[in-house]
Amino acid sequence: MKKLVALVMALMMVFSMSFGLAEESDLAYISNKGVLVVGITDFAPMDYKDADGNWIGFDADMAVAFAAVLGLDVEFVEIDWDNKILELNGKTVDCIWNGMTLTDEVKAAMETGKPYMNNAQIVVVKADVADNYQTVESLADLTFAVEAGSAGEAVATELGLKVTPVTAQADALMEVAAGTSDAAIIDSLMAAAMVGEGTGYANLTYTVGLNSEEYGVGFRKGSDMAEAFNLFLDAAIESGVIDEVAAEYGVQAALIK
Amino acid sequence: MDQFAQQLPIVVNALNVGFLQTLRLFFVTLLGAIPLGLVITLGSMTKVGPLRWLSKGLVWIIRGTPLMIQLLIIYYFPGLVFGSNIWGSGESGRFLAASIAFIINYACYFSEIYRGGIQAIPVGQEEAGLVLGMTRGQIFFRIKLLQMVKKIVPPMSNEIITLVKDTSLSRIIALQEIIWAGQSFMKGSQGISGQIWPLFFTGIYYLVANGLLTLGLGKLEKKLDYFR
Repeated sequence: MKKLVALVMALMMVFSMSFGLAEESDLAYISNKGVLVVGITDFAPMDYKDADGNWIGFDADMAVAFAAVLGLDVEFVEIDWDNKILELNGKTVDCIWNGMTLTDEVKAAMETGKPYMNNAQIVVVKADVADNYQTVESLADLTFAVEAGSAGEAVATELGLKVTPVTAQADALMEVAAGTSDAAIIDSLMAAAMVGEGTGYANLTYTVGLNSEEYGVGFRKGSDMAEAFNLFLDAAIESGVIDEVAAEYGVQAALIK
Repeated sequence: MDQFAQQLPIVVNALNVGFLQTLRLFFVTLLGAIPLGLVITLGSMTKVGPLRWLSKGLVWIIRGTPLMIQLLIIYYFPGLVFGSNIWGSGESGRFLAASIAFIINYACYFSEIYRGGIQAIPVGQEEAGLVLGMTRGQIFFRIKLLQMVKKIVPPMSNEIITLVKDTSLSRIIALQEIIWAGQSFMKGSQGISGQIWPLFFTGIYYLVANGLLTLGLGKLEKKLDYFR
């Protein structure tokens, strides 16, 4: 699947080069539309729906504030995370603002703003065997489920672990719960919310943190929106707005300032 | 069990919304593909060379590539290649793009079924029509079409049942049909996260819908039984 998408995108790139792209600046293009279309997934506490079906969360609220500064309306669109670069380049969304880890792949394919939050990749295993896997060395003979194209996959490959790519972090957890993989590597923010007592995966737990990483917002390659975002971020840090929003969703400890 | 009882109404509600989208895509595809298929059939049976090759070429391309790739191309190509997203943002654009991809795809399969149905009619009937002084158009509409309809009901039933399930492919362009709705509870949605059962539960919806369709199509087949 991944390869097919890559192939289609390669073809599209060849085509788009031969046709030549529009000259207009991205900020001007979005201003003309009057709507900032934000590509997201349902990912608490960054972007999720409240009881009335409105999108809230740390990222959602910040996106609304950013658009307000530019005098734009906001429209949130749920996308397939595998296709985020397709969505951006196809202009079906204007930015990706969804707790996106700034991997080398993301930075190569998008114009990213300054990082605004820290995160880590963390190992999830069944709770009854968790004691055996508290160090990086102990992971060598496990099989791992990781989200294809995620930071978790990158770090697993780096460590030479046996990995099975799946389509979403949630699928990776399902693999562990079903016993089809021994362990998963997912975002620590997500692990904190989704595994352990009182969650849907009560028999799972997380053990080793593998690396730390940063979240950022992605725009189309070459877009002047990233610069506008950086100015907005500086101002939000200066005024303390970002702290207020972060406190609301309990993520203030992870902010980058 | 308590937790399950609490979650069930929320999940069922979300799956209903998703399944409504599935059904909309299903009916729009049928409405578009049934007539378009006939046009393609006529195209691939005509004696006009270029038109015939155009139809056959289209059928070759559409049947020869995965529907998933066709969805990706139809939805993302305009923005990527021509720099403007013709579908607009939001769910309605995704639905429109998915409908067009499905209509074209299914019309090509239908057209081959129609062709089989038409060619199964003994050539003597056409000759008889010609002897009676009917034009080719009259022969097609008055003699062949109805007989074709009867002959193609079983293979069409097959395709229609497949279509119900194929609609799930549209999640690749993030159309929020029932599989998408079921999967959302794995990641977390509406306060429910890490739940796998809603995804498997979607199977019941497909099963019920296809059960009803099978009954309906069986009735139709019986109804058309009054001539051979």
